Amino acid sequence: MDYDVLIIGAGPAGYVAAIRAGQVGLKVAVVERRYIGGMCLNWGCIPTKVLLESARRFHKLKEIAEFGIDGVVVDKLAFNWEKVKGRSKRITRKLTAGVNFLLKKNGVELIDGVARIGTDRSVWVGDRRITAGQIIIATGSRPKPMGDAFLDAPVVEMERLFEQESFPENIVVTGNHVSTVEMAQFFRLIGRRVTLVTNSNYFLDGLDAYLVEEVTRRLASDKIELIKEGYPEKYAEGHLVVGDKKIKCELIVNCNSRKAVIPESEAPLQLTDRGFIKTDDRFRTNIDGLYAIGDVTGKSFLAHMASAQGIHVINTIKGIDAHFDYSTYPINIYTTPEVAQIGMTEERIREEGYEYKISEFPLSANGKALIENNTEGFIRLLSEKRYGEVLGVQIVAENATDMIAEAGAYLKGEATVYDVANTIHAHPTVSEIFFEAGFDAMDRAIHK
Amino acid sequence: MRYIFNFPDIGEGLEEGTILEWYVTKGQTVSTGDPLVKMETDKVVADIPSPKTGTIAARFGEVGDVVRVGSPLVEIEIEGVFAEAAQAEAKSGSVPEPEEKAETVVGTMEVASHSAILPASSEGVTGRPVVKQQSRHKVLSTPVARAMAKELGIDISEVHGTGPSGRVTKADIVNHKAFRKPESKPSLPLEADEVTYEPLSQIRKTIARNMILSKHNAAHMSLFEEVEISDLIRVRERYKDKYAAKGVKLTYLAFVVKAVVNALKQHRQLNSQIDMENDRMIFNNRYNIGLAVDTPAGLVVPVVRDADRLSIFEIARRIGEISEKARNRELTLEDMKGGTFTITNFGSIGGIFGTPVINYPQAAILGVGRIRKSPVVKGDDVVAGHLMALSVSVDHRIVDGGEVTRFVNKVISYLADPMELLMEV
Repeated sequence: MDYDVLIIGAGPAGYVAAIRAGQVGLKVAVVERRYIGGMCLNWGCIPTKVLLESARRFHKLKEIAEFGIDGVVVDKLAFNWEKVKGRSKRITRKLTAGVNFLLKKNGVELIDGVARIGTDRSVWVGDRRITAGQIIIATGSRPKPMGDAFLDAPVVEMERLFEQESFPENIVVTGNHVSTVEMAQFFRLIGRRVTLVTNSNYFLDGLDAYLVEEVTRRLASDKIELIKEGYPEKYAEGHLVVGDKKIKCELIVNCNSRKAVIPESEAPLQLTDRGFIKTDDRFRTNIDGLYAIGDVTGKSFLAHMASAQGIHVINTIKGIDAHFDYSTYPINIYTTPEVAQIGMTEERIREEGYEYKISEFPLSANGKALIENNTEGFIRLLSEKRYGEVLGVQIVAENATDMIAEAGAYLKGEATVYDVANTIHAHPTVSEIFFEAGFDAMDRAIHK
Repeated sequence: MRYIFNFPDIGEGLEEGTILEWYVTKGQTVSTGDPLVKMETDKVVADIPSPKTGTIAARFGEVGDVVRVGSPLVEIEIEGVFAEAAQAEAKSGSVPEPEEKAETVVGTMEVASHSAILPASSEGVTGRPVVKQQSRHKVLSTPVARAMAKELGIDISEVHGTGPSGRVTKADIVNHKAFRKPESKPSLPLEADEVTYEPLSQIRKTIARNMILSKHNAAHMSLFEEVEISDLIRVRERYKDKYAAKGVKLTYLAFVVKAVVNALKQHRQLNSQIDMENDRMIFNNRYNIGLAVDTPAGLVVPVVRDADRLSIFEIARRIGEISEKARNRELTLEDMKGGTFTITNFGSIGGIFGTPVINYPQAAILGVGRIRKSPVVKGDDVVAGHLMALSVSVDHRIVDGGEVTRFVNKVISYLADPMELLMEV
């Protein structure tokens, strides 16, 4: 046996599992055909946030005079795509190098190439047959293609976005994932005319209806046209046809729902109806000694969930039997302002039959938010009435995606609204909205 | 600013109370200390005083409503106080909260605190009885698990924690054997006309809980004896009018209390409790004798405090006081605190022998039966005598048969010869 553990794919699921395996003393190798860090580092999480950060600063600079800083000629501000691309590449390179270093440091062997799953706990890379005690598939996912009607259309997927020389005037972003909203807002912030076409009934699936409404409102105020339940049919004469609508556009950005990247396999891998690798609650596939984690399982499409599964599966292999908790992971949208959610949605709480309470506190009553001129947003604390347990937290704020981590700790520790209220928050901080919501849940907020 | 006054934890591990009477109405001015509302809690009917001076802006709940500890009672408009200052004051605990009782009947459970501001989490709460703090290691638990355990009456230290470092989680409480769904229905549904359903009163709930706690934890053993008290009867006859002239009713119970205290001094195991967690005994240096009083609402146990320092006259007066208060439902928590030994006088209703249930965690309880005329042997003659029945239950974990017998013999000899009682030999 060549290795204790062999991992296919070096994305956030695979590389984290590999590091963890090395740390706990397993002999481990990762097979990666191209991108260390996977979609996340190379064209997903990180690069898109680089774009959004540039767009956000570009936009913020327009209000700089209000802060008493003269000399910025707003008319002369221009978005330099080449420089943004360069900056993104540098950051990706740095992070990728970091992952490479960590893999080496933890004794993870890196094997270049495409893996094909063999029989008897083996994997083929080219002509080389590698055997391992346990094999973990972490091959990720790609967006579903737009279909044959769009073969000649100007469609670009996230993976190839950075190959674009420039961006045309009219852009359609299509899909239902959170990244759709982010990309739509990005193009809008750099001055393009944007239409967002969701291609199913599920616009921002998993997000609380209240937040979906908030996002919808924000899109409208940004003058981004939103077409819900629209199914792109074809592209003709510079227009995307969606039902009876014809949308003028020169570029279609495909943020479609995900499709698993299934490795070739000599043993018959069992798949789900939706074409993902079927796994049990311990991430075991139908084949003995073969696990699957991350997007390829279709259980979640978030980098942080993939990484958590990576750690979990190594723990399982090491004999630590635990239940993977799907209930307390944050969903982040890096728009301006950011949107973040953790725990149960109101709909879910109602389904579960809880007697619940919703405590909302607006950013407009928060000092730090006023200072930063980021008063758009709120916190929404959903708690159960009997014991005051915190069931869910939703935040719309400039830095909501960072702030939601605090709520994660409350949920993981089964904290109550009393704990939230009695956790001292520094003043002035935007996070003070937490204890305000906590007090509001008990009886009433201090500054409301 | 407006201040919301939540129903405070007034000790005894109370969870809820029923509103009996409102003393204030909306718009009324109140001063600190003024009674706001009369609440019936587990054990007592208590007036809840206002923590602030101001105007009543709102009342929460009507007469008959059950209010949980930590839920709002009234909203008070306070003039001239800035919001932050008032809140800070509230946080620092200016809400009057009577100190917690050291030996509550349910006191060995690790409970969450219910201060007005911080109802569900007991982390960092001070003022817990010293005995408890020493005898209990801190159980790691999530706040929700702690609140659930408290509400369900589960001793969290008995729950197996499966979280990190053995932390007790919500799921562990649900999986605990003592977990019961509060909304569970009786297992045998009965026809509506065969039975009548009535909600349990606070007092009945408490009695039920405490009795099970006692029967579950203490190793009960009972002993029965009779004492011939003709001499005592004569003493009482001789002095009862003089007592009455001073407004005090001289009862046999006063003599029994005195006899018990004197005997306890010589048999301290019966005035103690056992601390198995720390492998030690806790002997009480005070002699606070609880007297079980039967009221229409249920059993209450007011206390004759420091009975060893009281004369028979003072004991009789105190008994008179608490009986009066019990009848009028005016007993306060102060009246019921700190008992170390309990006497139940079922003889006053007519009973002779019984097997009383220990007022846990005390070591013993004495049941006093009816005094009845009976033939007794004096020398070689059968004469008419007066017998008083005594039934003692002890926790056999603490007290063995020999010691109980010696204790009862001592009580008997005091009651048989009132002079000995006076001489305290």
